[in-house]
Amino acid sequence: MRRFVKRFTWSQFIICTVLLVLSFMVLVPILNLLAMSLSDPLQVHKLSGLDIIPKGFSFINYEVLFSNPLIVRSIFNSLFLTIVGTALNLFLTALAAYVLARTDFVGKRVVILFLIVIMVFEPGLIPEYLLVKDLGLLDTYASLILYKTINIFYLFILMRFFEEVPDGILEAARIDGAGHFRIFTRIMLPLSKPGLATLGLFYGVYHWNEYFRATIYLTDPNKWPLQVVIRQFVVERDNTTLLGAQNLLSYEQVQALDFGSLQAGTIIISIVPLLVFYPFILKYYAKGALEGGVKD
Amino acid sequence: MTQKGIFHRIKKDWVIYLMLFPAILYFVIFNVIPIIGMKLAFQDYRVIGDNIWVGLKHFKVLFSSPAFFDVLQNTIIISTMKIVFFFPIPIVLSLMINELRNGPFRKYVQSVIYLPHFLSWVVIAGVWISLLSPDAGGINVIRNFFQLPTLDYMTSKDHIRWVLVFSEMWRSAGWDSIIYLAAIMKISPSLYEAARIDGASTFQQMRFITFPQLLSTVVVVFILNLGFFLNAGFDQVFNMINDSTISKIDILDTYVYRIGILNGQYAYATAASLFKGVIGVILILSTHFISKRLTGKGVW
Repeated sequence: MRRFVKRFTWSQFIICTVLLVLSFMVLVPILNLLAMSLSDPLQVHKLSGLDIIPKGFSFINYEVLFSNPLIVRSIFNSLFLTIVGTALNLFLTALAAYVLARTDFVGKRVVILFLIVIMVFEPGLIPEYLLVKDLGLLDTYASLILYKTINIFYLFILMRFFEEVPDGILEAARIDGAGHFRIFTRIMLPLSKPGLATLGLFYGVYHWNEYFRATIYLTDPNKWPLQVVIRQFVVERDNTTLLGAQNLLSYEQVQALDFGSLQAGTIIISIVPLLVFYPFILKYYAKGALEGGVKD
Repeated sequence: MTQKGIFHRIKKDWVIYLMLFPAILYFVIFNVIPIIGMKLAFQDYRVIGDNIWVGLKHFKVLFSSPAFFDVLQNTIIISTMKIVFFFPIPIVLSLMINELRNGPFRKYVQSVIYLPHFLSWVVIAGVWISLLSPDAGGINVIRNFFQLPTLDYMTSKDHIRWVLVFSEMWRSAGWDSIIYLAAIMKISPSLYEAARIDGASTFQQMRFITFPQLLSTVVVVFILNLGFFLNAGFDQVFNMINDSTISKIDILDTYVYRIGILNGQYAYATAASLFKGVIGVILILSTHFISKRLTGKGVW
């Protein structure tokens, strides 16, 4: 009970109106792309930039996109990178977080100081690129998965979650003869599910949205994740790759296709998985970001 | 503790060190080696054989190159515009959201305005290219409604920096308001009750209770933002830049990418990157300690 009386005043009316308009400013451009991608290609020219209802209705854009092997493969590439990358991130981060948060050992202060120092000194792009090259990791997924495998900000956040597990439980396990690794897997991980969910979303969103390192490290288009393909179509305006669909469509139909609508379709495809996880993101991510004081 | 005691403890805790080993190995390979690799700024790169030390050669070229100063100037202008025009928006937003009752409308507003934060800049660039398109993009539809001529924002030298500021708002204003909203939630309700009994209006409560209580959070976020002043938003610029606008929005990071990765001038690009890195570290450290001194909260 923050307010005992809430009357609907003029100032509240204005605030609600402003926020409603702002929410439309976020939604309309996205819904416009959705409408564009679902419009009939012959009628889409009638769709204005503010419309959110498709002109006519057709799945043709998605049929074309999903018949393009480059796009289908890129979706699986993205899923693979996100799942494997996040799993490795979580395991290594949790392992380090347990040791730093719940054990006492000679040299712990030095390790923490070391982490803070490398957090401040962000290495430049070129030495990192040359390292990946020297390790022979160019054009491999390892180059993407190994970048920030342990994010130090996230490590500190997870340490805070681990610190909340009561001492008594760990003490009891120790008396029962459980070693550190056993305590980590059998007690710490199961009791820190919200923390792991939070970090999983942090890392997962990062991997799903990653495009830059994939752009510079992966030269084989068959290995590209979805974001790189979208960048190729939408930002670099490379329409030729988009037309991987001659088998499906006759020449006239290809002529009738609208590239803007196809581009809109790729954007919508990349947003869908985020929307699926969005309720969890709102629940865990927002809370975790606050507790960690992380901006990004 | 004696020497012997320390060795005994290390031996006893070997599992701990084993568990820590992957992390340390990782940081040494992927953080320490590239940081040491920044020494390339003082060398000439050789594909075969050892690099040659050349001292400050690259820095001399860098500091006598007009292109570098253009890029530095763009970076400073864009960062300053973002601080002046973007920074206050999340604060205002949090004050407005706080006035909403808990309920479906508040949930709806929050869910919608946080969403763009989770989209990649590739996707956001796509959304904005479409929104600003001269070919019936939303903004030009509005312009035409008011009898204004169609404008191609993405290729307009005069407008592209504003496109950066506004697309940054679109992406981050909602999300960044969370930190202020959390600070507002911590304000004691009794202050508002007392004010209401004294007949304070909603606006007066905002002005005389919420805002002063919020100020310390505002100061922390502001100072910490200054620490990242030279970043100016690499991913955003990288996806919105084109040949027409490069002179206006090429920033330090995109410059390093172009001369380093695209042109292969590794050493020269590393010098530019080291210049940015050194100033960045000075900014982050000083803002951290200023913030610690003023408010007790720092970067870590």
